[in-house]
Amino acid sequence: MWAREREEREREMALDRRDSVSSAPWRGNAAGSLFFAAAEASRKLAEYVNSVIEALSTQNGRTLASLLAISSPNSFCELVASALELAKEPIKILKQVDKHAPLGDMLSNHTKCMHSYHQRRYVEAFNALEKSANMFLQEFRSWESAWAMEALHTIVYELRTLAQMADREMVANGKIPDKLKGAGSFLMKVFGALAGKGPKRVGALYVTCQLFKVYFKLGTVHLCRSVIRSIETARVFDFEEFPARDRVTYMYYTGRLEVFNDNFMGAEKKLMYALRHCHSSKRTNVRMILKYLVPVKLSLGTLPKEWLLQKYNLREYLNVVRALRRGDIKLLRHALHANEDGFLRSGVYLVLEKLEQQVYRRLMKKIHIIQKLKDPARAHQIKMEVIVKALSWLDISMDVEEVECIMAILIHKNYIKGYFSHKSKVVVLSKQDPFPKLNGRANIL
Amino acid sequence: MQLPVNDSYGQSSEHFQQVQNNNSLQQEQQDPLPSSQQDTHVTHIPEPSPSDHQKPLKFHSSVQQFTSLEASKQRMSKLQIPTNPRITQNLGVVISNGPKGALPDSSKPQKPAYISIRGKSSINKVSSDDIADATLQPGMFPPSLRAYVERALALCKDDAQKAVCQDYLKEIITQASCDGSLFSKDWDIEPLYALSSMLAKGISKQVAASVKLDSVSTRRVKSRWEPVGEKLEDIKDSIDADSSKTEVLEGSKGQEFAVSPKKWEKQETTWINQQQHHITSTKPSKRGGQKIKKPDPGTGGVGTSSESDTDLDQGGFHLGSLLTTETPEEKRKRQTRTKRFERSKEYSGPKGSTKPKLQGNASSRRASAIRLVMSVGDVNGQAVEDINWDSLTIRGTCQEIEKRYLRLTSAPDPSTVRPEDVLRKALAMVQSTPKNYLYKCEQLKSIRQDLTVQRIRNEFTVQVYETHARMALEAGDLAEYNQCQAQLKGLYSEGISGSYNEFTAYSLLYMVFQNVNNRDLLSSMARLSHAARQDEAVRHALAVRSAVATGNYTSFFRLYRTAPKMSSFLMDLHVERMRFEAVKCMSRSYRPTLPLSFMARTLGFSSLSLVNGLDEKESDGLEDCEEWLKTHGAQVVYESSTNELMLETKMSAATLFMPEPEDVVPHGDANLAVNDFLTRS
Repeated sequence: MWAREREEREREMALDRRDSVSSAPWRGNAAGSLFFAAAEASRKLAEYVNSVIEALSTQNGRTLASLLAISSPNSFCELVASALELAKEPIKILKQVDKHAPLGDMLSNHTKCMHSYHQRRYVEAFNALEKSANMFLQEFRSWESAWAMEALHTIVYELRTLAQMADREMVANGKIPDKLKGAGSFLMKVFGALAGKGPKRVGALYVTCQLFKVYFKLGTVHLCRSVIRSIETARVFDFEEFPARDRVTYMYYTGRLEVFNDNFMGAEKKLMYALRHCHSSKRTNVRMILKYLVPVKLSLGTLPKEWLLQKYNLREYLNVVRALRRGDIKLLRHALHANEDGFLRSGVYLVLEKLEQQVYRRLMKKIHIIQKLKDPARAHQIKMEVIVKALSWLDISMDVEEVECIMAILIHKNYIKGYFSHKSKVVVLSKQDPFPKLNGRANIL
Repeated sequence: MQLPVNDSYGQSSEHFQQVQNNNSLQQEQQDPLPSSQQDTHVTHIPEPSPSDHQKPLKFHSSVQQFTSLEASKQRMSKLQIPTNPRITQNLGVVISNGPKGALPDSSKPQKPAYISIRGKSSINKVSSDDIADATLQPGMFPPSLRAYVERALALCKDDAQKAVCQDYLKEIITQASCDGSLFSKDWDIEPLYALSSMLAKGISKQVAASVKLDSVSTRRVKSRWEPVGEKLEDIKDSIDADSSKTEVLEGSKGQEFAVSPKKWEKQETTWINQQQHHITSTKPSKRGGQKIKKPDPGTGGVGTSSESDTDLDQGGFHLGSLLTTETPEEKRKRQTRTKRFERSKEYSGPKGSTKPKLQGNASSRRASAIRLVMSVGDVNGQAVEDINWDSLTIRGTCQEIEKRYLRLTSAPDPSTVRPEDVLRKALAMVQSTPKNYLYKCEQLKSIRQDLTVQRIRNEFTVQVYETHARMALEAGDLAEYNQCQAQLKGLYSEGISGSYNEFTAYSLLYMVFQNVNNRDLLSSMARLSHAARQDEAVRHALAVRSAVATGNYTSFFRLYRTAPKMSSFLMDLHVERMRFEAVKCMSRSYRPTLPLSFMARTLGFSSLSLVNGLDEKESDGLEDCEEWLKTHGAQVVYESSTNELMLETKMSAATLFMPEPEDVVPHGDANLAVNDFLTRS
């Protein structure tokens, strides 16, 4: 039914084309060349279809994937799109696939998507691709082996990227974007098809990562939880068996989730894994990981070298790190304020904000060292007025009560060992290890 | 698109019902029918026109009604042969709706609309296109009508639809000019949806079921939401409130007629066509039938039931129905359902005799509108957003300033809804009343309800929600506050101005204190504009957030004391927890003791006593602080040297605990405790 409609439409399009071609004055033998063009288009399309058939029959997943790719620079998109416009009976040609696998409809949807994509009608393209993807998934389920995994991944990837483009198009047209959400639920279906036992499980992590991307974009990260549970609780499949690419992406996203949950130890573990396994040549990826790893490490008490921040262009953290080194509260506040928008958007603002207490601790440590130089016997008693004065040198005006509160919090949270005497307004530091290592304990309290 | 035969039969059965209804009416009223007219109708077969069915609602000419009845009667006998048993079933079903049935009129072929027009009975209906053309001259129309036409045409998806639509519009306009409503009618609220649904394809399938509302047949559950091609104004003309429900049903039937002919044409089922012609040619006049009925307003449901009896007899017998669906029980049920809108009448009882009528009509018209909308939505695959909701919005007429809040369980009635100017007075009244929060809350809720049902969304709406949110905050009614905040968020995002910054600050504070996850907090902070960040209240809220995040109790309680506007009421939510954290922190870091005077100052007890009415004389809050500490398990000792109460920190660190809140009530809101309700009146 649909096919017939489409056929008619194609014919109409071909007719339109003919008109425009024949009216072109520089075309001498218009009718002849049109015929030639149509035949050529049909031949190209048939060639494409034959390659698909061959990939299907030889179970060549990689070739199939490259044939189905849409957005990659050397995809068949342009070829297919122009062939569809000119060819006489594209459906007939596409239907040939059915002899090998019932994928004729899938392919006609897929080529339709390529056509729309080529003309930059992304919503249309997405809708066609969604149909095509559903049909493909249905077939994929019935195949015993996972030979077509690469093709499935290509489709999943294209669906997600197209959904984003379609959403942008919808927003531009004043509509409410919902394609990415639709892509998300399709990916969930794909995940369901892969997540079980068997040879297909190896592809599940890729889909999981694509799902993460969708959910992070949509701001529905809570949906990640079920997928994560399914990946992490399964004993049948060792995580290390997944491809490195997917493992890194997975750890990056789950690490970010841990940052949101204020679980810095967990975040550090995951992000470190991602960093260690990420190929060093992928600088943007390393940078993305570091963007979250640096604040996490900072709050655990590990400061990065400046060259690292310079190398990966993470300058926004430079002053934060300097402030931590110097105990310069003002610099930290300034650094936070200057990059507030970026930090808020990436979600590390709340992490960095809590570094303030570490900066106070550093300041106390410096005062303690200076006092030790002057008078080692009384160095462990730091008078309130000294701290207030030090802060005022840093251009921070705070009254005694506020400083008292901060000192109390520092002691309470175990940044400093010791006690505070309200009566004599003195911080009495413990004589042994007054500034204990943070080791992640800091934020537990 | 081919329909299954059964469906088409179902449709045709509608016609039978229609016919029967007419018949019953005729029988009941014992009206003589000129046979000559019958003949003409039978022989004269005009083009089937979907729109005609609407007509009955618009044009009521009694004479024609009778002819149509007669004609249909004749037709019935003719039509008996090719029926499907189902038809009979349906026949039985609809009977009770009989007399007000929408009868198609044939005079205007090819006008497939079933939107009725507000026009009063145009007895001298001139249907000639001449007049239409005459009236269609540019410049003769009010601008609102032109806008209406544009809207209607904009809905058309292709030229064919456009043509149909144009014809229909022409007819509407002709009609309006005939009965003089061309300039008086409010075209802005004239419905388009019926038109659009008519234009779309594939209605009739579901439509056929609509009449089976009361039928035992479960074949189509959807029927409840069948489109009703009828407008409120028409219902207004109906005899009494009781019948309004029936009216609605009729309306839906009318629409079926309106849509179905297309299908029939396709199927080329001649007998159906014939019937169609008959019906269309019976230029109806429901009005006539009603008029006759009018003198006997008491009949109401009883009248209908007797009709249905006759109908049943006739229908069942004549058509040799195999399925007898019309049991007495079923009839009774139907009657109660028919009458269910009467309840609202009772509600507005003392308002006078005219009111009940209005009421019933209003409810039914709303109901019908909703049903129409539903059907338009899912039958035609037309998005709900495409529906012109404005035409369904009611306008309140109630003038009373005070109104109790009742959660709506049915369609709102304009006579109990206050228009905006009255609501403004109501808001002013609430703001100045000395009564307690519960009274104010109820009044504000009813104001909000009236705003909602009238779909008023403007600065005043914002004002109402802001007022309510502030009052709720003051009273600690978080549930109500939250509702208002949610509404305000939507209103602000529509660009309606209000105290945006103030409420941004409140929502930030609310998020902080409700422990929403970091991500949500981050995203709402990231959304703050630079201008908003400069605002005093927002800056304060951000500072509070930071104090809470770092556990800085000193700064928290300082901010508590300097909280702008209503922020302190929100901060109240967190004071207890903050104090507890602070004392925990103090008892861990201070040694050996800490004077209570310092603690009372740091933990905001001193300002608390100010609130307690000690006005100028600032209390140090020592007693409060001591009591608080004791209830939380802290160890307080008396230091004789300084004559001061001290917190014994080391001991307290081990014994601190968070007591269960005392004023806990099962429903979670102490402000709504039973005592409050009792003290209310």
